[in-house]
Amino acid sequence: MTIVDTKMKHGDASDGLLGGRLARIDGPVKITGAADYAMEHFPEGMVYAVVIDSTIASGRVVAIDTGSAEAYPGVLLVLTPDNALPIKSATDWTGAPPAEAPFEPLAREVTFAGQHIAAVIAETFEQATAAAALVKVTYDETAPISSFDDPRSGEGFPIDMMTKEWGDAEAALAIAPVRIEQEYRTPREYNVPIEPHGLIARWEGDMLTLWEPSQWIDGMSRTYAEWFGIPFEKVRLLSPYIGGGFGSKAFPARYGAVAAIAAKMLDRPVKLAITRPQTFTAFGGRPATRQTIALGATREGKLLSIVHRSANETSMDDVAVEPLGSVTSIMYAVPNFSSRQNIVPVNTVKPGALRAPGENPSAFGIECAIDELAYEVGIDPLDIRLLNYAEEDPHARKPWSTRRLREAYAAGAEAFGWAKRSPSVRSMREGKQLIGYGVAAGTYPVRRTPGEAMVRILSNGTIEVASSGIDMGQGTYTILAQTAAEAIGVPVETVVVKLGDSSLPRAPVAGGSQLANLMTGAVHVAALAARDELIGLAINDQNSPFRDLQANTLTIEGGQMSSPRDAGSSVAIAEVMRRTGRDRIEALRNTLPENLRNKDDHFRNFTTISTMLSPTEGDYSMHSWCVHFVEVRVDVDFGTVRVSRMVSALDSGRLYNPKLAESQWKGGIIMGIGQALLEEGLVDQRNGHVMNNNLGDYLVPTNADIPDLEVISVGIPDTNASILGGKAVGELAIVGVAPAIANAVYHATGIRVRDLPITLEKLI
Amino acid sequence: MSNQTTINLEINGKAHALAVEPRVTLLDALRDHLELTGTKKGCDQGQCGACTVHVDGERVLSCLTLAVQVEGRAVTTIEGLSDPGAELHPVQAAFLEHDAFQCGYCTPGQIMSAVSCIREGHAGSDDEIREYMSGNLCRCGAYPHIVEAVREAAKVMS
Repeated sequence: MTIVDTKMKHGDASDGLLGGRLARIDGPVKITGAADYAMEHFPEGMVYAVVIDSTIASGRVVAIDTGSAEAYPGVLLVLTPDNALPIKSATDWTGAPPAEAPFEPLAREVTFAGQHIAAVIAETFEQATAAAALVKVTYDETAPISSFDDPRSGEGFPIDMMTKEWGDAEAALAIAPVRIEQEYRTPREYNVPIEPHGLIARWEGDMLTLWEPSQWIDGMSRTYAEWFGIPFEKVRLLSPYIGGGFGSKAFPARYGAVAAIAAKMLDRPVKLAITRPQTFTAFGGRPATRQTIALGATREGKLLSIVHRSANETSMDDVAVEPLGSVTSIMYAVPNFSSRQNIVPVNTVKPGALRAPGENPSAFGIECAIDELAYEVGIDPLDIRLLNYAEEDPHARKPWSTRRLREAYAAGAEAFGWAKRSPSVRSMREGKQLIGYGVAAGTYPVRRTPGEAMVRILSNGTIEVASSGIDMGQGTYTILAQTAAEAIGVPVETVVVKLGDSSLPRAPVAGGSQLANLMTGAVHVAALAARDELIGLAINDQNSPFRDLQANTLTIEGGQMSSPRDAGSSVAIAEVMRRTGRDRIEALRNTLPENLRNKDDHFRNFTTISTMLSPTEGDYSMHSWCVHFVEVRVDVDFGTVRVSRMVSALDSGRLYNPKLAESQWKGGIIMGIGQALLEEGLVDQRNGHVMNNNLGDYLVPTNADIPDLEVISVGIPDTNASILGGKAVGELAIVGVAPAIANAVYHATGIRVRDLPITLEKLI
Repeated sequence: MSNQTTINLEINGKAHALAVEPRVTLLDALRDHLELTGTKKGCDQGQCGACTVHVDGERVLSCLTLAVQVEGRAVTTIEGLSDPGAELHPVQAAFLEHDAFQCGYCTPGQIMSAVSCIREGHAGSDDEIREYMSGNLCRCGAYPHIVEAVREAAKVMS
């Protein structure tokens, strides 16, 4: 990888330079309604599909009576497993080769409630919806295992790669002077982006165009290509704007195959938008989890041993692992450690990724447990964290690249006023409100996949940046414009960024909080290459205005080129391009290591996660860190909990645009408040249905649930972590919020709630 | 069942004659029939607020309103809040300045609600803004910035 000397500006300038607080450049189209999201296209002849889901959680579809639906006005096709065009299985996201068997997006064998079994396609949305209600399905139903609380679900089976052990944890625990052991639980939680999922699929010959919100253009394009046996280049996937994803829009879902099959069979573009209730079962959110944590410690609160046993739900036919030992194993220095994890198959859709998969529930366990230990030995919850501070990665036994967690504790405690905390529980009160202070830390790893970008300098001086990478609100458009502007030396207004289109240069998944770092790195490298070519042209071309100066270098600032030999005169980039007769300079660069630059590995890098480096690959262990300080107010009569104040201090390394990074942090914190107090997928234990599959019953935070939030950046550039010094941002800030709130509720009330969410009936 | 009826709608000051079935919602009429896609469909059941538009100056959920119900009434959508190329509405400008959105999908509904919240006289304090903006969900979590934006826009509009 190229080592690049960069300007480490870390200021608050609102100009276009990297590190400046530039307003998001995709803002104007979003506030005027002009941004074109996926479902907002109107290809000629488009028709509408509505998907029909199973009403049982376990069993078999015996018969589908489509007669009435087919006779309904406007209906073009009722798609069932019996008449659907067969398609192939595809390579999975890890790169594992496809199954031999065909892929059947409509099920005959039902393993969860809400599984797609048929679809109706009609001329209008209203006709398709009405006709779908006329399809009659007969089932042969068997008793479902609705959740891992059903005794019949058993203990599941172990995932050996999750096992982490050092020392002799059981023996050390047995002789520890202080021992505590508790179980911590999180329910099924859902991504709930406000833009529901769906797509428009259009075939033109063997060319498939898809308008579909996507966190991973190249990975999803590969899947569609393999399903239909067409070359990757024959899939055009467009997703310039995405109405939120939070992990749920990285892979094609079964309804995607349904739409593309229907479009091919009818030779008409098909729009398929799943309903809001279907967003709870057409793909999975975070699985329900449970963890037992036993801590052994000295009487002074120094950890001697951690024994961690955990499990998460998975589907009946697939493996979903929520890594529950990920924070447990790195947050504290401990000489003896054991973590093992099972997964338990139940009749649910396969769980998926939701903001900080693994780290989020993992932190809920260990950050509550360490708080319990602090009260047990009678020391301040902040002090116990400093007492057990991990000076290096206790699992990988490598130094941290950067870990500004000590600085975060100090900055957060100061801003919050932690010193004013009264040590005893139930000791702070205002009228009918019990007041509690809580603290918890969080972390998220730095994930690294090489990137790619095209940077063009056009004849009019415009700089164009192009990538299939995406912006679902993280700020990709803006920070890539800032990166190119700074590298080349032009005003940011002259940079145009094109994203979210499979015809553009490749990009890996926008997940694991990796995209900003890898894309700024790739754009930086490509922009410097374009700049070098421009300078070479200006020095060497016989028609260049700089030709006579015999300079061996030129500088570019504010879009103006000048020579150190004649600093007084400068020439605009557009003028240099005009004089030299060039219509464009373009540089396509990737940050792949030499051994992965061949065609196959290049394709694999961007369409699977098989080249993603672990956070401990190399000499360092690389993670972002954060701490949350929370004040809650609990109504003494009703048990209602309000978060009244919150300060978070975060180390995400260098911030490319603090204004946008702060927004992402606050967004994560707010989702964490929802997780702590509101969010819970309620499963009907009799039949396996998710009962609250809508936004009136699955509660997410509203504006009135959220107080002012203070976020403090304590990061410094970490060039081990990424080319330009950033670490993870998007998934970091949710980690640690729920335990901080649970700890504050305990401080307020003396009641320890170990199963989320913390609802009022658990406090009265 | 495909009995279409012709209705006359006034959207953003412009008259539209539309042949639709009576069961078509105002939201689907705007998005699918008039291709005014600035108004968003988030839940289609009146729970998220993404589809908020103004009918005769009042905020309504267009997913719970049939298109035929608004015949003869003035409908304003996000596209009609400010003229293309002209200056932004103060609420739009404040949303941009305060980074009051991320993915942008709930944003048109938030902005339409914010304009009403201010007009209704419910932007007197941050707590009041929070309460009267709570019909619009934002999963990216822009709430604190939305409160800032509404507070600032209210000053400009008063």
